[in-house]
Amino acid sequence: MTDLYMAGSADTPEIDFKFSSNTLEMSGEAYPENGVEFFLPVLKQLQAYLKTLAGDSVEFNFKLTYFNSVSTKILYSLFELLNEYAKANPDSVKLNWFHDEDDDTILSFGLDIQEDFPWIDFNAIVVA
Amino acid sequence: MFDQSLLTKSKAGLSEIEAEYIAGSLIKICPPVSPQQTNFEISKLLAEQRDLVSIAVIENNKPIGLINRNYFMEVMAKPYHHDLFDRKSCTTFMEKLPLIVDQNMSIQTLSFKVLDSGSKTLQDGFIITNEEGQYLGLGTGEDLVRVVSFLQAEKNRLISESINYASVIQKSFLRSSREDMSTVMTDYFMHWEPRDKVGGDYYFCKKFDDGFFLALIDCTGHGVPGAFMTLIMASFLDQILLEDNRHDPADLLALMNKKVKTSLGQVAPVAVAGEELDSFNFTPVGQSDDGMDTAFCWINTQENFLIYAGAKTPLFYLPEGGEEVLTLEPNRKGVGYIDSPMDYEWKNQRLELTKGMCVYLTTDGIIDQIGGPKKIAFGKKRFTTIIKENYQKPMLEQEDIIMQAYYEYQGKQRRRDDVSALGFRI
Repeated sequence: MTDLYMAGSADTPEIDFKFSSNTLEMSGEAYPENGVEFFLPVLKQLQAYLKTLAGDSVEFNFKLTYFNSVSTKILYSLFELLNEYAKANPDSVKLNWFHDEDDDTILSFGLDIQEDFPWIDFNAIVVA
Repeated sequence: MFDQSLLTKSKAGLSEIEAEYIAGSLIKICPPVSPQQTNFEISKLLAEQRDLVSIAVIENNKPIGLINRNYFMEVMAKPYHHDLFDRKSCTTFMEKLPLIVDQNMSIQTLSFKVLDSGSKTLQDGFIITNEEGQYLGLGTGEDLVRVVSFLQAEKNRLISESINYASVIQKSFLRSSREDMSTVMTDYFMHWEPRDKVGGDYYFCKKFDDGFFLALIDCTGHGVPGAFMTLIMASFLDQILLEDNRHDPADLLALMNKKVKTSLGQVAPVAVAGEELDSFNFTPVGQSDDGMDTAFCWINTQENFLIYAGAKTPLFYLPEGGEEVLTLEPNRKGVGYIDSPMDYEWKNQRLELTKGMCVYLTTDGIIDQIGGPKKIAFGKKRFTTIIKENYQKPMLEQEDIIMQAYYEYQGKQRRRDDVSALGFRI
């Protein structure tokens, strides 16, 4: 499957899904005017990618610093996909949650994700 | 000649403005020449009429080319060219494929055509014809730019006028809440600052005999769509908030949830036989998924307690002499969204109110705003620290301090969301 790369903009994140090496990364900010339109193709590709895997380990590097409420709902759908995969293949998904040491907003969202998606191996990482 | 007065007299609506200006509005009457005319005649014409930038060449009333002054003069000035070409047809040096447009073409389509055909057309102009392709005149790039800028300015004016008026409507919807607030609270502030003049943040206050109901609401979206949502939510809240249920904010949230989901058709999609169900729990393009995050509070002023139920909106409080800002945590479920179950139950939390206690509510606009040297969110900690350090000051002064800190933190960063905050002292 071809890797997915989308350059970021002021209100859309940089998406760097290296399917070939099972490393997925998202950084920047997400508050596009129409979040569903922006994210739907990304989720579809992620879904298709997960279907091609045979229990391989996947690493997700989450580096967003801001996302609006629509994007939040979409991120939940994204983690749901990963959680489903991890449920079928225990210990396969590692979520690296990058946050600034002073960024309590991103960290507390991460802790919610950890609580809601128990099959994903959540790993908070402080950005120096 | 392009009628300049058209630019000022229009008072039309948006779509009318677009229809009113067409390629035909740009026609400059420029007498064309025919292929029988010679380059010598063209030289003479150009020498006589200094303002001619281009001359159309037509045959049987149909344009076949465009002679550009600068190019023509340049080639003819070359050695012997007058001798060689003076008696030849004026088609020798004409541009054989100039841009030719129908007079009914919209200005927008025309602009794209002109841009596509390169900078030459912007300088030389273009030929405007009638429906039968017969020559009517020339249009210039300069006039086109003038009309496009005018249309742009006119559209902006109309949009900002309508948003300004929408803001008047939204504010007038808030009036009764503002009035009730001023009668039920003495030391308080209510800061409401939509990002785009109108927005999805909203507050609600209603006075009863034994206390008052208070809500701070953050509807999906901002700007005009956000404002639409606030009006929907405000009218729902008005309908469901009755004498007998005002003491039960959690029940009110559940009622709002049902009402929003039902009326906007926001229920989880059901699989139709033979059709694969989209596995994402947000709806694809086309269906709405709107709702609100909010804090609903019932404040009993006779027995001095507060009942809070929150949908992703915490309540902060600090008793007189307190050391730390305390928080009532909300349920992590928004109201009305597709993924909020129809029978979801929020929980009520009771807070005993003591004299001098300060209570605060804020939507995520302040806390989630990106800024500061690290370009990270403002954060709950920064917010509660400001409260802790200033809670003994009058509420209006606290409002200033909080907002100043917010503006400074935001700095040159874009505003991300609508901003609302409310504080009151018991």
